[in-house]
Amino acid sequence: MNIEFIVGFSLIIFGTFATAWPRPKNYITRLINLELPAFGLLLVLLSFDETIALLTFIAVAAITTFVFVRVIEKKEAAE
Amino acid sequence: MIETMIPLLLTALIFLGALSTAFWKSPFDKLIGLSILSAGIIPFIIMRGYLDVAIIVALVIPVTTIFILFLLGRPRT
Repeated sequence: MNIEFIVGFSLIIFGTFATAWPRPKNYITRLINLELPAFGLLLVLLSFDETIALLTFIAVAAITTFVFVRVIEKKEAAE
Repeated sequence: MIETMIPLLLTALIFLGALSTAFWKSPFDKLIGLSILSAGIIPFIIMRGYLDVAIIVALVIPVTTIFILFLLGRPRT
C-alpha cells in the first residue's frame, strides 16, 4: 500500500470514467483518454515489482494503439 | 525531507496531467497533457530502480504519440 498503488488505482478509476464519457464524443478523444488507465495500470504493476509484466504491458500497449489507429482510419473512411 | 517531498510533487504532476488530458477539448492539448503525465510516471519508475523499464517507456511513449498524430494529421471531412 505505497504511493504508486494509490496513485495508480485512482488514475485507473478516473481514466475509466473519462474514457466512458468523453467530452467531445468521438473516437480520437476516446483513444487518447484510453492512455490514462494504461498509465494507471503501469503504476500498479510497478508497485508490485513485476519487471517482465511491465515490459510486456508497455510493448503491447503501443501495438494496441497502432491497431486502434488503423481501425479508426478505416471507420472514418467508410463513413 | 526531500525524499518525502519528491513523491508528493510527482503525484501532483501526474494528477495535473490526468486532469488536463481528460478535460481539455482539442486533441493536441490532450497529447500535451499526456506528456505531462508521462513526465510524472518516469521518475517513479527510476526511483524503484528499473532503468531498463524506464528506457522502454521513454522510447515507446513518443512512438504512441506519433501514431495518434498520424490520425490527427489527415484532413477532416
